[in-house]
Amino acid sequence: MASPALGVLFVCFTAAASAQTSVLLDAMGEELNRNFSTLKSKADPAPYFLSYEVTEEDVHTVSATLGSISSNGHGKSRRLDVCIRVGSPKLDNYHRVRGERTQFTSGAPLTFEDQPASIKHRIWLETDRAYRLAAERLIKIRTNAEVKVAEADASSDFSREEPVVRLETVVHGHFAEEQWTARVRKLSAKFGDYPGILTSSVAATYQEETKYFVNSEGSRLRHGRGFARVVVSAQAKAMDGTDLATGETFEATDPEGLPRDQAIAAAVERVAQDLKALLVAPEAEPFAGPAIFSGRAAAVFFHEIFGHRVEGHRQKDEEEGQTFTKSVGGKVLPDFLSVVFDPTRKKVAGIELNGSYSYDDEGLAARPVTVVDNGVLKAFLMSRSPIAGFDHSNGHGRRQPGLEVVSRQSNLLVESSHAVPEARLREMLVEEIKRQNKPYGLYFRDVTGGFTNTGRQGLQAFKVIPIIVYKVYPDGRPDELIRGADIVGTPLASFAKILATSDRPQVFNGYCGAESGSVPVSAVSPALLVSEIEIEKKNKSQDRPPLLPLPVEGR
Amino acid sequence: MRATRRRICFVALLVCANFTAMAQDSGDTLLRAMRDELSRSRGLKVLSLEAPYFIEYTVEDGESYAVSASLGGLVSVRHDRFRLPEIKVRVGDYKFDNTDYVGSGYHFGTHYDIERFPLESSYEVMRRFLWLATDSAYKSAVEAISRKRAALKNVAVNQPLDDFAKAQPSKKILEIRRIPLNEDAWSGRIRALSAIFNAYPAVKASAVELSEVETAHYYLNSEGSEVRVPDNLIYVLARAEAQAPDGMVLHDAAVFQSLDFDRMPAEPEIRRGVTALAASLTARAAAPKGEDYSGPVLFEGTAGAQLFAEVLGRNLAPTRRPAMDPGRNGSVQTSELEGRQGARILPEWFDVVDDPTQKEWQGHPLLGSYEVDREGVAPQPLSLVEKGVLKTFLLTRQPVPGFAGSNGRARLPGSYGANGAAIGNLFVRATQTAPFADLKKKLIEMCGQRNKPYGVIVRRMDFPSSASLDEVRRLLSNSGQSAGHAISAPALVYKVYPDGREELVRGLRFRGLNARSLKDILVAGDDSNVFEFLNNQAPFALIGGASYVAGTSVIAPSVLVDDVELHPLEEELPKLPIVPPPELRAEASQP
Repeated sequence: MASPALGVLFVCFTAAASAQTSVLLDAMGEELNRNFSTLKSKADPAPYFLSYEVTEEDVHTVSATLGSISSNGHGKSRRLDVCIRVGSPKLDNYHRVRGERTQFTSGAPLTFEDQPASIKHRIWLETDRAYRLAAERLIKIRTNAEVKVAEADASSDFSREEPVVRLETVVHGHFAEEQWTARVRKLSAKFGDYPGILTSSVAATYQEETKYFVNSEGSRLRHGRGFARVVVSAQAKAMDGTDLATGETFEATDPEGLPRDQAIAAAVERVAQDLKALLVAPEAEPFAGPAIFSGRAAAVFFHEIFGHRVEGHRQKDEEEGQTFTKSVGGKVLPDFLSVVFDPTRKKVAGIELNGSYSYDDEGLAARPVTVVDNGVLKAFLMSRSPIAGFDHSNGHGRRQPGLEVVSRQSNLLVESSHAVPEARLREMLVEEIKRQNKPYGLYFRDVTGGFTNTGRQGLQAFKVIPIIVYKVYPDGRPDELIRGADIVGTPLASFAKILATSDRPQVFNGYCGAESGSVPVSAVSPALLVSEIEIEKKNKSQDRPPLLPLPVEGR
Repeated sequence: MRATRRRICFVALLVCANFTAMAQDSGDTLLRAMRDELSRSRGLKVLSLEAPYFIEYTVEDGESYAVSASLGGLVSVRHDRFRLPEIKVRVGDYKFDNTDYVGSGYHFGTHYDIERFPLESSYEVMRRFLWLATDSAYKSAVEAISRKRAALKNVAVNQPLDDFAKAQPSKKILEIRRIPLNEDAWSGRIRALSAIFNAYPAVKASAVELSEVETAHYYLNSEGSEVRVPDNLIYVLARAEAQAPDGMVLHDAAVFQSLDFDRMPAEPEIRRGVTALAASLTARAAAPKGEDYSGPVLFEGTAGAQLFAEVLGRNLAPTRRPAMDPGRNGSVQTSELEGRQGARILPEWFDVVDDPTQKEWQGHPLLGSYEVDREGVAPQPLSLVEKGVLKTFLLTRQPVPGFAGSNGRARLPGSYGANGAAIGNLFVRATQTAPFADLKKKLIEMCGQRNKPYGVIVRRMDFPSSASLDEVRRLLSNSGQSAGHAISAPALVYKVYPDGREELVRGLRFRGLNARSLKDILVAGDDSNVFEFLNNQAPFALIGGASYVAGTSVIAPSVLVDDVELHPLEEELPKLPIVPPPELRAEASQP
């Protein structure tokens, strides 16, 4: 009892000591003032805005395969992102010109020690570099603006926002490296019981992220969180060459929040059993008919086909498909569905959400945004890049260090007013199969993720990659696992086909990749019943499985 | 700061744990797993597919420690334990196989996640990884040979060369002695070295880094070679950039390196070197811009050895043009000395020998010593130039026109399934020399005879290059040497006036300096300078340009070369920063 109390005391003590001061923030603030004031008076074109964001990462990883450690490491780093805007909020160097995306920041490595001389010197160099690019870019944009036809969306390039000053106490988690080494070694060994599995691993990582932000409007911020994760994965190859992979992950903000060995061992068992079953499962045939998406599968479905299309900057970009740009106030989903993006939500159904944060990468407070209210589109996810009808950010400007901020998803939450118990949803599926006179329906239990094309060039479509898919027969036969199916479709058509949902939300935690890099996100949804979904055969490898058998075990 | 220290201690503890684990592994499980799986893999073949005739397994088993710092603050600290495999499979036969074709060396088919092997010595797990890696390499080889056959179907090959030369198998199992890396001490040293630049405000950007790599190199092939040798390297690299008042950007670097951790230059020596780098860059930034010059140039001291390393060293490695798909016109940079064996390439009072078997020279440990090359072939001393006449080339097991059979010089990864040849310890000896002290006098004399207002001394070349990638691109495209190799820029160039006065100038490039220029050497000094560098596949051996490096030494005299052209840099210069640099205080460097 004594030692945990002591630990808490210690944490409180150090936190209190560091809460008021930050050598890094002071150095950032001083250098910001010095650079901004000099550039403002001497540079042409002069900047009207300058911000610095430093992302500090402390990362521990350990992974093992078949009982043997395959990598371990610990690293600490700080990266600097500079945002400098020249011109005016109406037209600045970030103005999007068709087909061009300019990058000004570089995510330059900064000393991770509190050495003001070293920190300031690097900030100065990076500001100079970014300013040169920004000035050059603005001249090009002005020329372009004079020759091109007027753009459909004449909104400004940068929104006016109130400055925020807040130094949050950064809580440090503890990654018990030796224990995790022993744990992943032991947990990964269980895959050895499955000779059909070619490669497999169990990895544990803990990343502590602290962000420091200052801007010329007076914002001054320190905030952060931890990302603890266990990833279980396995790969195999079917006799016909199809590459198969299964996996499961656990996320928490603190390593202490990760599950105990028993739960991870059960996941290893499920991942291995699924893969073993997939190896002998029949191949999917092209099919269109009714289906149920599990909550996790539905969450990915929404993230891909809906979430990416309500990211604000896409509504302004002339190269984007702009599926929903003109739909605000109109019906875009069945009226029993609402979609909220809420980075302030920390947990759903006991599971911590990966897409939670307190401030975005433009230093604005996170807040819930109701994007769809009972089927009607109300808003977009906004960074400080305004679009017609939306002049302000709603705290969704995000990035991976080294890339420019755009509007991104946080925690996507699907809410339903037409929810039935899961058992009833399944009965409804069987009724729908019979009504449509189909031989079977589909149940998508798990998906890895997917991708979507929101651009005008190329097909406006999405693809979600399911791993575990069952045929559901109307006559009461047991469900049959199939493999090699890809869901295909076009977004607008798919939404109209949602008939009902279950009453049990499930969480999908992951990382989303887009223009501004990889950002942690979550999607939460109940299971969905759809009247029609289309699957196609997956493009598969032509390779045979390994020619020689597994090397002889033992000795 | 305390937290950082503690963390580093913790990492060091882990290293010790690894160390003991490996020491106990006296049976060498990795070697046994490699041997057993290689032997089983000979049975790889499927009906209607080709059987492998040659398989090689290379595993680099080791650990590394890297630290970088800038202006007194650590930027990154990285400790890495690794086991990196490289599996090569050849199908067909020595005459015609899957290599030496533009599609060779590519990976076809399923990509297993096996780039890094498990770190613990589990025999079964290592066998399994080798099994999958071999399967993958074999399938890629079968795919490559069938594409190669199709590509060559309608092409007449002028001089058919074999694809692979036979070699005597080598057996060399040396003891691997693990030395714990001294991480704590080094991170403090690197931080302190990086703070030297705090006293040099004219240096715009700077960084100091340490890399310490300790590897057991395993090489096994199906012909019976079995090699396990230690392969260690430690270096400290300092780099700096400055901007002259007219905007010209100047780079420089200083490197301190050793194959033996215990024989690394002592700290005061490194300190002096980093300080000299900061001071000389500051001086260069303030120096006037150089002008066009054509005439005698004295490559003094290190610059003489650098000239031989770059102009001669690189051209001693012949390259082979791979088989191409019809209609595809790939250009392969060839050696300037190709086809010139038996011809004079240096004055007749020069001899050149490459000798990787020498470990020391005048008490100085040599960086270019090695036991066996990347193909398991042990090198012997090789007489490359005798009395100015080119006798042979640096060879790997890849046959090239006129030569088949390795002389153990496969030191770098190559293209299209082959390795690249490179020098180890290159000794350039002149039998007819002038006293070093007289070289400058000779230069002034020559300038007088030719009515030149001044002569030029180059004291250091920017080789291996410290330039940015952008600058390298410009050097390659503006070198004015269309077919030949571009030469790195001179770093320290002095005008020498008839009264002996010297003036440092900046911004000059060589024009037309190439292997033929070596015949224009007029005088060699009686001095011998050891120049050492980390060779790689990048142009100008660009520092950090490629991850695989080969330690290299060149021992050569100063040389006075006639008819060298220097030309000032002609490009738009970036403006100076609008905001002055933040104030640097020397005391800020003390953690």
